[in-house]
Amino acid sequence: MASLGDTLFLLLTFAVLLFLVGKFAWGPVTKMMSERSDKINNDLDYAENARTEAQALAEKRQAELKNSQADAVKIVSTAKQNGEKQRQELVDAAHAEVATLKANAQQDIAQQKADALNSAKDDVAELSLAIATKIIGKELNADDQQALIDGYIKGLGDVNGNH
Amino acid sequence: MNESYPYVKLFGLTFNLTNDIGILVTAVLAFCLVFWLSRKPQLRPSGKQNVLEYLIDFTNGIVKQSMPGPEGNRFGLLAFVLFVFIFLNNQIGLFLQVDVGGKTWFRSPTADPVITMSLAMLVLLLSHYFAVAMKGFGGYLKGYIEPVSFLLPINIIEEFTNFMTLAMRLYGNIFAGEVLVLLIRQFAFSGTGGITSLIVGFVLEMVWQGFSVFIGSIQAYVFVTLAMVYVSHKVVSE
Repeated sequence: MASLGDTLFLLLTFAVLLFLVGKFAWGPVTKMMSERSDKINNDLDYAENARTEAQALAEKRQAELKNSQADAVKIVSTAKQNGEKQRQELVDAAHAEVATLKANAQQDIAQQKADALNSAKDDVAELSLAIATKIIGKELNADDQQALIDGYIKGLGDVNGNH
Repeated sequence: MNESYPYVKLFGLTFNLTNDIGILVTAVLAFCLVFWLSRKPQLRPSGKQNVLEYLIDFTNGIVKQSMPGPEGNRFGLLAFVLFVFIFLNNQIGLFLQVDVGGKTWFRSPTADPVITMSLAMLVLLLSHYFAVAMKGFGGYLKGYIEPVSFLLPINIIEEFTNFMTLAMRLYGNIFAGEVLVLLIRQFAFSGTGGITSLIVGFVLEMVWQGFSVFIGSIQAYVFVTLAMVYVSHKVVSE
């Protein structure tokens, strides 16, 4: 039997092996393994956070979308109302203007007609006076003459129909 | 393997060269293998790193089975090296046995009871050491009268039975395996059946070697598992 020598040799060899494996293989690899598990944990946490944030953002966006839809509806309806009002105003204004213009024109026409009639009356009176003076050789009083001619013309108008 | 070994006397100690060569070769092999597997570890493991990490997870699992708490963390390296070392020790003699001049120069070191007893002693001494280191000397002594004080003699006997069963189980399995490897080889070359015995012996040897690989792996696993169980009995305070 050679127990003690072999035992010591085994213990020494095993200790050296333990040390070398621990230093060159176990250490780096287990370090990498724990780094990996840390990274996986961190990534999971990060993903969870990102998911929560994304959900919050989506909800916020949804709410904003609803708000903006309501805003858009309001804006459109306001614009419609404004347009309607403006159109009504324009139409009313145009109606009023047309009415005024028409009234003015009628007034003008009536005025001109009256003026023309009056001036024609005067001309006829003077003309008749001149003719009568020449024919009769006698000067009539202008006022009498005027009355005479008015009566005459009135008679003419009655014959021709009402003016 | 004819139970005749080369001995060397040095510093008043006797060395069995067969054991020492075997231990040295397997230690160097174990280190080279693990060293090669562990080159350039990366966050995304690939190829050989996966092999090593699987092995580490495997031995860590053995440790966690008996020590689920934080005590187990410091025994991961021990379990890993123990497993790789014993596994290679068990296998190496299956493929290479050298007999020169009537003396065996090379076979599995674990086929020698001295070596398995040394390994068992290493484990049990470590368990006593860590029991004192982690629970204090009082706590360590208290472990002998748990769960009740009249179990003290049984607890003391258990220390020896643990040591013997741990050593003898491994030794018996590996020794028997190698003896049968040798017997089948002798049968194949005995010339009793001519070419027939050679062929039959060849097939039998192959079958037995395959089975012995299985036994060697199982025994390495059992040894590490029991070692961790014994350590946990000492270290974990209930």
